[in-house]
Amino acid sequence: MQEREQARRDRERTRALFERFIERRERYSQHNQTADSQYERLRDELAVVHLNLVRFLAVRFANRGEPLDDLVQVGTVGLLKAIDRFDLQRGVEFTTYATPTIVGEIKRYFRDKGWAVKVPRRLQELNLAVNRASDKLSISLGRSPTVTELAEHLRAGEDEILEAQELGQAYNLLSLDSEISGETDKKSQTLADTVGIADAGLELLEDRANLERAFRVLTGRERVIIYLRFYESVSQTEIAKRLNVSQMHVSRLQAKALDKLRAVLAE
Amino acid sequence: MNSAVERSHNELVEPRIPSRPEWVALARLAAATVANRLRFSIEEIEDVKLAVAEACTAVIQHEGHGEFIDLTCEALSDLLRIRVRDSGRHGVARAQAPNMNFDEARIAGLGVFLIRTLMDEVSYDVSPQGTDLVMLKRLTGVTDH
Repeated sequence: MQEREQARRDRERTRALFERFIERRERYSQHNQTADSQYERLRDELAVVHLNLVRFLAVRFANRGEPLDDLVQVGTVGLLKAIDRFDLQRGVEFTTYATPTIVGEIKRYFRDKGWAVKVPRRLQELNLAVNRASDKLSISLGRSPTVTELAEHLRAGEDEILEAQELGQAYNLLSLDSEISGETDKKSQTLADTVGIADAGLELLEDRANLERAFRVLTGRERVIIYLRFYESVSQTEIAKRLNVSQMHVSRLQAKALDKLRAVLAE
Repeated sequence: MNSAVERSHNELVEPRIPSRPEWVALARLAAATVANRLRFSIEEIEDVKLAVAEACTAVIQHEGHGEFIDLTCEALSDLLRIRVRDSGRHGVARAQAPNMNFDEARIAGLGVFLIRTLMDEVSYDVSPQGTDLVMLKRLTGVTDH
């Protein structure tokens, strides 16, 4: 009950502040006067009283890859805008009125930062970081790490780790079977054709020594293709671009190179 | 290329999760997955996740909340509908009013303001049966931001 009493007093105090502030604000706008120090003081006080609201909101956007301090700063800009526009006659609490303005300001900031591109990238990065940390911790611990251990290691939340692992897939916006528009190639290909993934045929090549020996039978260009394709997981399309040949040609060369390698390794 | 996924059925996910903070991530993920099926933009999906997290937090912080949260995420033709319900409860709920004091006990009330900002329509009901919040987000088809 004491809480509620406190809240009621806070509300009344804010209202009184707004009454004085709005009275001055209107006087200035009607008479084209410049604001005096009293006006500024009231505005500042209203801002200070509501900084917790800005903080409350900014914290909720802090997992989207921008520093919290920056978000609080742009959120405060939104708060000031709301203070300058708020009208007691609206019959809503200032908090209700200010929230969309503050959130709007924070989201605009993200947009200006090209955030729509950054979020998937950040997820992917975290996803990669999880994989790397997982390998590293597996070695040092001698067992597979727990999510808690990964979270500590990467200074992230456990839920972030879990999300990064899952969302790598949830945000995979294109189906692998979707057709991609080939630039010049007449035949359309699906995304699955171009993704760099390990080839089953390559399981033969696990033994590095064997592999090095086998590689000698390849031509320079074949070696480059095999290297890019299977060690760097570069797509055929990308390899084609780098070598300035068609993707079909890369595909043929790759098939030929793998045949050669299989033949050598089967010996 | 980014046309909506073919959906011959409405998609519905309805998990029941323990009413505890460590399960909120699952609620976020369920909502994000359904939102993604509707081809919401990445920003909209983040907003949906945030709204769901706030709603769950509101339930969890509600005095005398139940043992579970019943979450319903539904992809309708051009609409995402999410319902967050307090369930498995005992005791009597206390009606809460959003207000100006920002200590932890009141965060839940503020969360509702935030949800209103993030979603298109929000209705909620706090009764002795607990919190029951329904939020809708429409697919605008415009992703020019």
